[in-house]
Order: sequence, then structure tokens, then C-alpha cells
Amino acid sequence: MTLLPRAACVVALLLAMTASAFAASGDHGLAQWSIGALTQAKARIETLAGDLAQAPAELRRLNGQTRASLMSGTGVRGFTYLLIMLLAGSAAEWLYWTYAYAPLRAIQSASVQSPRQALRVGLRRLLLAGSGLMLFTVATIGASAAFSWPPGVQELVVAATLLVLVLRLAWVVVAIVLAPGRPPLRLVPVAPERARWLAALAMTVVCLLALGRFVPDLIERISGARHAAGAFRFIAATAAALLLLVVSFMFFGRAVRGAGAARMPRFPRSFLLALLVAAVYGIWLLATAAATIAAIAAVVVALQIGLRDMVFFFWQSDAASATGPKDKTEPEFDPVLPSIVLSAARFMVVLLGLGACAIALDTPAAELAMSESPMARLGLRVLGVATLALLTHAVWITVRTAIDQRLSRIEPGDAHEGPNASARLLTLLPLLRVTASVFLVVMLVLSSLWALGIEITPLLAGAGVVGLALGFGAQALVRDVIAGIFFLAEDAFRIGEYIESGTSTKGTVERITLRTVALRHHNGPLHFVPYGALGTVRNNSRDWVIEKFNLPLPIDVDSEKIRKLIKKVGEDMMADPEVGPLMLQPLKGKLQSIDPGVKIFRCKFQTAPGKQFDVRAQALKRIEDALKAMGVGFAQGR
Amino acid sequence: MHAPTVLRNARLLSGLVLMAFVTSHLGNLLIGIHSLAALETWRATLMGPWKSGAGLALLLGSACVHVALGLYAISARRSLAMSRTDVVQLGLGLLTPPLLLNHVVATYIAGEVTPDFDATYGMMLAVYWSFAPGYAFQQLFVVVIVWIHGALGLYAWLVLKPVWRRIGGLVLPVLFAIPILALVGFAESGKEVLEKLANDASWKTHITDNLERIVKVTTRLETFQTVVLAVYGGLLLLGIGVFAARMLRNRWESVRVSYDGGACAQGRRGLSVLEFSRLNDIPHAHVCSARGRCGTCRVHVDSGAQALSPPNAIERRTLARVQAGEGDRLACQARVLGPGVCVTRLLPAHADASAARVPQEWMAVDPAPAGEPAP
Repeated sequence: MTLLPRAACVVALLLAMTASAFAASGDHGLAQWSIGALTQAKARIETLAGDLAQAPAELRRLNGQTRASLMSGTGVRGFTYLLIMLLAGSAAEWLYWTYAYAPLRAIQSASVQSPRQALRVGLRRLLLAGSGLMLFTVATIGASAAFSWPPGVQELVVAATLLVLVLRLAWVVVAIVLAPGRPPLRLVPVAPERARWLAALAMTVVCLLALGRFVPDLIERISGARHAAGAFRFIAATAAALLLLVVSFMFFGRAVRGAGAARMPRFPRSFLLALLVAAVYGIWLLATAAATIAAIAAVVVALQIGLRDMVFFFWQSDAASATGPKDKTEPEFDPVLPSIVLSAARFMVVLLGLGACAIALDTPAAELAMSESPMARLGLRVLGVATLALLTHAVWITVRTAIDQRLSRIEPGDAHEGPNASARLLTLLPLLRVTASVFLVVMLVLSSLWALGIEITPLLAGAGVVGLALGFGAQALVRDVIAGIFFLAEDAFRIGEYIESGTSTKGTVERITLRTVALRHHNGPLHFVPYGALGTVRNNSRDWVIEKFNLPLPIDVDSEKIRKLIKKVGEDMMADPEVGPLMLQPLKGKLQSIDPGVKIFRCKFQTAPGKQFDVRAQALKRIEDALKAMGVGFAQGR
Repeated sequence: MHAPTVLRNARLLSGLVLMAFVTSHLGNLLIGIHSLAALETWRATLMGPWKSGAGLALLLGSACVHVALGLYAISARRSLAMSRTDVVQLGLGLLTPPLLLNHVVATYIAGEVTPDFDATYGMMLAVYWSFAPGYAFQQLFVVVIVWIHGALGLYAWLVLKPVWRRIGGLVLPVLFAIPILALVGFAESGKEVLEKLANDASWKTHITDNLERIVKVTTRLETFQTVVLAVYGGLLLLGIGVFAARMLRNRWESVRVSYDGGACAQGRRGLSVLEFSRLNDIPHAHVCSARGRCGTCRVHVDSGAQALSPPNAIERRTLARVQAGEGDRLACQARVLGPGVCVTRLLPAHADASAARVPQEWMAVDPAPAGEPAP
């Protein structure tokens, strides 16, 4: 059951990705497509070589051009305006930080006990820093709108502003996720001494990528220097790829040692990441257009690889404390919540990846959803199925955990103590678990079929007809099941109780199933009574029982003396350490009737259910002894 | 008065004088939003006093004192533990003299060397906008750099004063409005100058004549600049050298300081307690960045008081102002000279300038800053 939705999820995602890949490749045959790709790649490499060869000359020309255009009134004006913009932005942000700095420091200096707390702190830091950045952006862009820009300068200035924004945003994210210098606030499992390096390298890579994205476009648009732009892109991408290779070997080379030597050897992550980087770089070299998609896919794969560690990192301290000997009273570490979060996170990563791909390909999502292309439709539907599977998985895990936890809490100690409140839970919860699993699977199958576009109405109708026929046949069965549910819900009997049914079957409840209750008669036979046939249930094991018996004595005894004697015996029994605890009310007796030659005394006492026989035997024995001591015999029969 | 107090006050006063000068200069430039003529008219009022003997002496003296004290401050540093604003301010301050020098030379000294040279705004704007735009970039940079440097200093000083509550809301916007408006004035009057150059032939000849006069003395001016820059560079290197020597001198003599809440810091002997905190990422409030003004870094010395440097005049005064108790020290002034120092931070790490303005309000704060759980 656990495996099913997860497998469905994985399969669905794979299908969705394949489908989208095929949708992208269009109608061509595979061979034709690959030949086309090869030709393209060849042309691309030639272009790159040409770019690199011609770039220096173009750069010299560009340099002269820029110098000429900057060293003029226009250049000065543009620069002045840029400075004014940045000053306005900084002013707004400074004002903001005069208020926000103290809260930020308070958040950062608060002691953080667990990674989950760190996550909360991180989100608050993100909010604070993000607001400041947003204010800066709004003020900068607002200020830029106030000027009449010299022609051609605005593009430059906008690109510069965007670059600043991207870098600052990247820094905010890196500072919050890696928290260099603040180990307790770190949100990913990275060793403290490496965090600073990783942050620096990450920023360098972002810087290179951002420069490689903005600057060549600008060069191309303003001065038309195509080759210089191409060469710039090539250099930036190569440098970024090299740095990423360094990062993957330096920081993901050795996994955190977990179980030590007992651990199975795994495919080294560093090598996998390096392969990914190399693959994306290769694809970029051969076909720029596909590189974005490849990069997104690589990021998705890389995240999937690391996601388990990242998610479990947040529950790490729990695991540590659960294994520690001192926290026995705490509920033990339960990997269920992180695994739900993990599967949700995996799904979200893929979904976000697909979304990013859609944005990168400029596919309007609404159009895609409406489109008639069967592949696109299938992909979307499969995605829907994956969502359903994920949801089902989450619900199932939640239900199962809740039930299992409840069960594990009542089981120890209580199992052999006869009838008590937990017996009912012991009966009901496993039943509930099976029912829930069946229900969820049926729902998942039905709604997946529906999501895939398969008409389930006939199925349902057919099921309805068959159900009707079966229903007539299984009327009694249904009655039994439903009656059983109510018996259990109303707590009519529990395992271990002695009951008598309306059909005068009696015995101790041994087993409760979906349809029948098994009663063990005190003589040994085991009755299986369907709930429907149970009728009125007489439960002999609840709360208390009153036992009465008659005591025939000779006609000449003193009734008052006998009453006192019985009462005395009752008090003695109450004080007895063996019998006393079983009794709820002491033995009492009184003269009930006077028959010819016989005085009949009626005695009664109250005990816990099932104890009345032992207590009665005790009572009779003691009364007999007491009567003997008093010199009174029992009435003689005639 | 003791030496540290004198030096600190001299630095503050010279900075204030320079800030006043920059304000009046930028204020004058701001008038350019109206017109070039108004810019020139107001020049006598706003810039005139600084050209007079006393004004000039004050200005030059302040500049020299401020630069010298800045370089001295570098040499007097003990570690690289600085707040981010400090780094920014230091960097900008160091950049200022070399970038500003040619502007000073062109406007003040060129007039002395060539008697007929008239450094009017029109003249300088024409140079910047038309004849040598390269200088314009430099000067625009300098405006921003100098202003941010000055604004950071002014803010850091004023925000600790009780009066900030009343004037803060006014001062902050003004601090930013002035450079922005000055730059707008620069752009507007620049447009006017370009127009005038194109249309007014006689004005253009006037400017070119003026320029020719200054071009003749360029070599002399450049020699002067080189000398000044060389001296500055030498002093800077000296300062850095002294700092490096201090850093390296007792780098092996490591001592430990323990804090409240079980934290522990390791560092060189001779560093201040605050530097120990900053170098070891221990949260510690410090609003004025170790200038001994705010008193937010104060700690209670639980043990090892004899291993700390004795309190100086600055520290004693600030401690008295914030009504510190017996055995309290300023972490930024108390240097650790031996082992066994154990301190309790008295203010939470998020203490801000209000803790310096109204110390009473922060007295009641529970002295367990690091142990506070996240709310």
C-alpha cells in the first residue's frame, strides 16, 4: 500500500516527462531528428569558433565606441541619472533598515535549537530582507521613470539595475540558506567551515551566469557586435561550468558519514553532479535553445538526489534525541512526517521544473491546457494522476500513522488484562485501517481513470448493477456488517466479556471480525454468531453483578441473631485481603419467608462481574462455619 | 582631557566641518535645478566663506586632520572585526582623497597659479559636460562616495543622541535629498551649459580662453598632484603596515573569554572583548561600532577583571552616562590581556540606538541575551 502510490507517482512523472519530450520533438522520426540535431550542433560549433576568433577585433571596436559615446554629454547625463536612481533606492532601503535592523538582529541572535526553528527564522529573515530589496527595487525603478533618458542609455541602465537586483536577490537567498557565519541558522546540511566557501562559490557562479545573460544581450543590441557577445557568453558559461565542477567535487565528494563501515557503497554524488554539469554544458555548446531545459532538468535531478538529506535534516535533531537514552518518555522519532514532506517536496520540485520549462519555452499554460495535442493532454493528465497518487499517499500515511500510534500506545501492558476500554480500539482500529486502505485504493483507481480521460460512468453503472444483484444476494451479509459496526460503536461488548445473545447463545467474546463474533461457551464450544443474528445482547461483564442465594434454616432459630451473623460474615469478607477487593457491597441477609418447619433467609452481595461464583462459595463456606460455631444446623429436608 | 578623547573629538569636529562644506557645495549645486545664473549668483553666498582666509584655513586644516586621523585609526586597529557600515565607511573614506584631488586642484589651486583663471560653475560644468567628460564620471563618483561616508558618520553620531527622537525624522530624508537634488541640479545645469555652448559664441570663447590658461599650467598642477598622492599613499601604506604589524605581533598568544550562556571565544591577547565576540560569531550588541559612545556593548565582568585593560576616559564617561553598575565594562574598550576573563552581556544583541539614547528603558531587560528562545 505504501509502495503503490509512490510507484504510481514516479511512473506518472516519468511518463509526463517523456510525453513532453516527444511533444517537443514533433512529428519527425527519431533518425531524422538526430541528424538534424547533429547538423545544428556542427553549425553551432563553427559559429562559436568564429565568435572566439573575431571577438578581439570587435571588442576593440566596441571599446572605442563605448568610450566615444560615454565621453559626451549623453554619457554624463546617463551616469548622473543612474547614480540618482541608485541613491533613491538606497535611501528608501536605508530608511527601511533603520526600522528593520533591530528586529533582524533579534531574529538572528535568538538561540535556535533545531533546524525546523531555523527554517522559521529563515523565513522571517527572508521576509525582512526581501521587503528591503523590494523597496529598493520599487524606489530605483520609480526614480528611473522620472527622467527623460538620452536614447540608448535606458537599456544600459535597466540592464545594470537588473544585474544589481539579481545579484542582491541571490545573496539574500544564499545568506539565508547557507547562513555563512551562523551555523545554527543553516537550512541545509553543510559543514560550518565549508559554508563560507560554498556561499562565495555560489555567488560567483550566479554572478557569472547573470553577467553572461545580461551583458551579451546588451552588446548585441546596442552595437550589434554579435561575435563579441557570443564569445562573452562562451567564456561566462565555461567559467560557470568549471566552477560548478569544482563545487560538485569539493562539496559533495564525501557524504556525511552515517552508519560508518556498515554502509553500502553508493554511486558517488560528486561524480553524478559533475556529469550533470558537464551534460548541461555540452548541450549548451551544441544547442543553446535546449540548454535552458537541460539546465532545469539537471537542477531537478540534482535536487531529487539531495532532497532526502535536505528534508530529513529538518528532523535530524529528533532522530538524535530519539536514539539517545535519556529521552525514553518522549514519543520516539517517527520518520513518517518527513517522508510525507519528502514525497511532496519531490513532487513540487518536478512540478516547478515543468513550470520553469513552460516559462522558458514561452508556452502559455492556459493554451497548453486547452490545446488538442494528444501528447500535451496526456502529459497534463498523467500529472493529474501523479498529484492524486501523492495526495492518496499522504492521506494513507497520515491515517496509518494515526492508527498505528494509537494502537502502539494501548498495546503494552493492557493486552492480557481482560476486558477494558482499549479492547474496543483493538478491535476497531485494524478494521478501520483495512477499510481505509481499501477505500483509498478504490478512490485512487477510480479518480486516476477519470483523470486519464477514461469514462468511468459505465464502470460505475455496471458496478451499480452488479452491486444491486450482489446486494440482494448479500443482504444478510450487509446487515451483519452494519449491525456489527453499530455494536462496536455503541460498545455493546468487547473482547473478553461474557455475553448472552438474544438467541440464548452465550460465552466469552474471543474474536470480533467484520461479520461475526466468536463466543466461547464456558463448556468449550465456540459459537460464531453473525451480528445480524445477535439480537438483544446481555452483557454479563459490565460494572457489577448482584448475586442472591437462599439459606434455609430450622424454624426455631432467632432471626435477628442470624441476620447479625450474616452481616458479621459480610464484614469479615470485606476485610479479607483476598475476597474483599472483589466485593463492591458486603454480604447481607434477612428473613424472607417462613415455610412450614423452615425459615428461609435471603442473602445478597455485589461483586465485580465474573467474580460472583467465587465469592458465593466463600460466603457459603463462612456462613456454614459461623452457623456451626453458633450450634445451628441447616433445615432438614423432608 | 585624555588623548583618546581629544582624538575622537578632533575627528568628529573636522568631519563636521567637512560635512558642512560639502553640504553648502551640494546645496549650491542644487540651485542649478533653477538655472545656471542662479547657481552662479548663490556661489558667493554659499561658497564664498570657504574661500576667505579663515574659511580656507578651517577647511584645509579639517581635511588634513580628518585624513590623518583616519589613517591613524587604521594603524590603531587591532583586528579586522568591523561592522559592515565600518567597512563601507573606511573604504569610501580611503577612496576620497585620490578621486577628489584633481577637482580641488582645478578649483582652488589653479586659481592661485594662474591669476586670471576663474573657476566658475559654468566653467567647470562646461569641462565636465563637453570638454573632458571623463572628469565628470570621477566627480559624480566622488559626490556619492563623500556623501555616503559623511552621512554614515553623521548618522552614527546623531542617532545616539536623545535629540534624534525629535530631529531624526527630518534629518534622514534631508541626508538623502541633498545628494539626489544636487545631482539633479548638476544634470539640469549641464543641459543648460551644453545649450549655451552651442548657441552663445562669446560665452564659448570665454570658456575656451579660460581653459587654455589652465592647460598651460597643467604640468605644474600634475606634479603637485603626484606629490600629494605619493605622500598620501605612503602614509596609507605606513598605516596598513603598522596595523599588520600589530595583527602579527602576538598572533600566537591565544587566550579565551567565556560568556554567559556557556559561549566561549578564543582570540589573540590584546583584542577587546567585543572583538572576541565578533571574531567568534557571538551575538553582541554594538551600535556605535567600537567607538565607545553608545554603551550597548557593556558587559558585567564576572571574573578576571584584573586581566582586562583599565578603563580609559571615554569608557568612564560613557559608563557614567548609561548608569552602569559596579564591575561593568564597555566590551569595545576593555582589552583582554590575560586568561580567565568571564563576562555577562548586559544588553540583548538586538539592542539598537535607543539603548544609547535612553539607557533607563533597557535597564530592565533580563541580562540573558543569547539564551532567549525564538518567539
